Amino acid sequence: MAVSASHVWAQTNVVPAVPVAVEAKHGELGISDWLLRMHEASRKRAYIGTFVVSSGANMSSARIWHVCDGDLQMERVESLSGAPRSTFRRNEQVITFLPDSKTALSERRESLGLFPDLLKSADSSIELFYAAKQTGSERVAGFDADMVVLQPKDGLRFGYRVWSEKKSGLVVKLQTLDVDGRVVEQAAFSELQLDAPVSMGKLTQMMANTEGYRVEKPELVKTTAIAEGWTMKSTVAGFKPMSCYKRPVSAPDGTNPESTMQWIFSDGLASVSLFVEAFDRRRHVHEGSMTMGATSTMTRRLSDKTGDWWLTVVGEVPRNTLIAFSQGLERKK
Amino acid sequence: MSHDKLLDHEQVSALADGQLGGDEFGDVLAALEKSEDALASWHCYHVVGDVLRSGDLGDTRGDMAFVSRLRGRLAFSVGLQLNDEALVMDDFRVGQVLPDAAVAVSNVLSSASANDSSGRWKLIAGLASMFAVAVFGWHFSSGDAALGAAAQLAAASGGSTAFVAATAQTGATGLAEPPVMLRDARLDELLAAHKQFGGTSALQMPAGFLRNATFDTPSR
Repeated sequence: MAVSASHVWAQTNVVPAVPVAVEAKHGELGISDWLLRMHEASRKRAYIGTFVVSSGANMSSARIWHVCDGDLQMERVESLSGAPRSTFRRNEQVITFLPDSKTALSERRESLGLFPDLLKSADSSIELFYAAKQTGSERVAGFDADMVVLQPKDGLRFGYRVWSEKKSGLVVKLQTLDVDGRVVEQAAFSELQLDAPVSMGKLTQMMANTEGYRVEKPELVKTTAIAEGWTMKSTVAGFKPMSCYKRPVSAPDGTNPESTMQWIFSDGLASVSLFVEAFDRRRHVHEGSMTMGATSTMTRRLSDKTGDWWLTVVGEVPRNTLIAFSQGLERKK
Repeated sequence: MSHDKLLDHEQVSALADGQLGGDEFGDVLAALEKSEDALASWHCYHVVGDVLRSGDLGDTRGDMAFVSRLRGRLAFSVGLQLNDEALVMDDFRVGQVLPDAAVAVSNVLSSASANDSSGRWKLIAGLASMFAVAVFGWHFSSGDAALGAAAQLAAASGGSTAFVAATAQTGATGLAEPPVMLRDARLDELLAAHKQFGGTSALQMPAGFLRNATFDTPSR
């Protein structure tokens, strides 16, 4: 099975011309083809829309402006629910304005640049763990869309149902499905205007205007798990380490404890973060787990002869996947 | 306080200290079984012992506040869940993934989701906008023992109702440690950090980024 899937991947490791080449052959597309088509659509179309996210029993919505010019993409996300919040993205650079606190969070999100190059690379194993199947058509936000199920091949990950606009491939609706096929989270455009007149100049100007705001940048240090003294004695099928950071996390009493390591894994669609920090008996009282929509988290105390640590695992995966990660982590120093 | 009661308390104290043996051991155990008062003493002596061994355990103000909050939330969420099963995200079942899970996944994904009717979506949306409170979406558990017990309940009676029963029982008896993981500022920071750098997905660019930028993490 694995060999066969790899072989298929080798044969299809060519980026399809988007969107023309896929018009008549949707049924034959593999998962990488679908993902590339969806990805390319967001790189080539300008649009304005209202985006609605439902997670668990909570719902949020935002107004979206998206524009692109060659390799440059810009986005503006204006929250319509909850606390006022404006997020601007210029490729991997993201700034979030919080008017209530007059704070602007400026950050660089390297993960945004990982795809689609990872999909195109020969070591992509996404097809070993998911299969794509077109299941029909439906109208979303006034547009005809292909319904595609991204079906997991084991119980370690969730499935996805994606509505991809027929002409452009743009994702107009996305559902995350648990192992029983229940929708645990969904996001969709409730209203969408494709090829809308969005001014990149205006967005650039708004993004740069931080006057009156205190600009904060996360203090992050890139590292490796090995350098921090950690390894995975048993890996979780399909999940590969993507990056590792050290970040200071403020304590409730305002002091800065030792930095926390964040080790990030992904199987191509789902991601898991392992946060490891020194064990503090005042703060780290309850081991346990929680689930909200598609996101689960669990905490566990780790001990060996060299010390005690507190592990927090977070990911858009079933809880047993988090348990597998927590059991696979091992101290090496 | 009666003489019998005094004797009971002294014997319970001796039992807690591991000083009883033979028939007396059996008698006191039998008394514990029959007398709520003796049982309360047994618990009390253990708490006293714990406090003497660790000063941090002496402060129970937080516990009482927590229990009060938990009871309130349980009472509210039980009522809500009984009215709308779609609001229940029973995370216990994911602990039961079996070797043939892939087959089950394959079957269920090919058909429409059980909770995917447009009416359900509207209902969730309506309720969500009315009750934007974190606790409804969060489902708690703690430890493998709790997981196992809840999983058995879920297997026996199916899905979300079992979770409600499990939490309600715990709340009613007050004997078990609350099966919860408290959401605090630190956990919120880590969740945000995961969304920031952990959103490593091929779906990130078409929708994941918009999702994270749009979704307002419910307040605690």
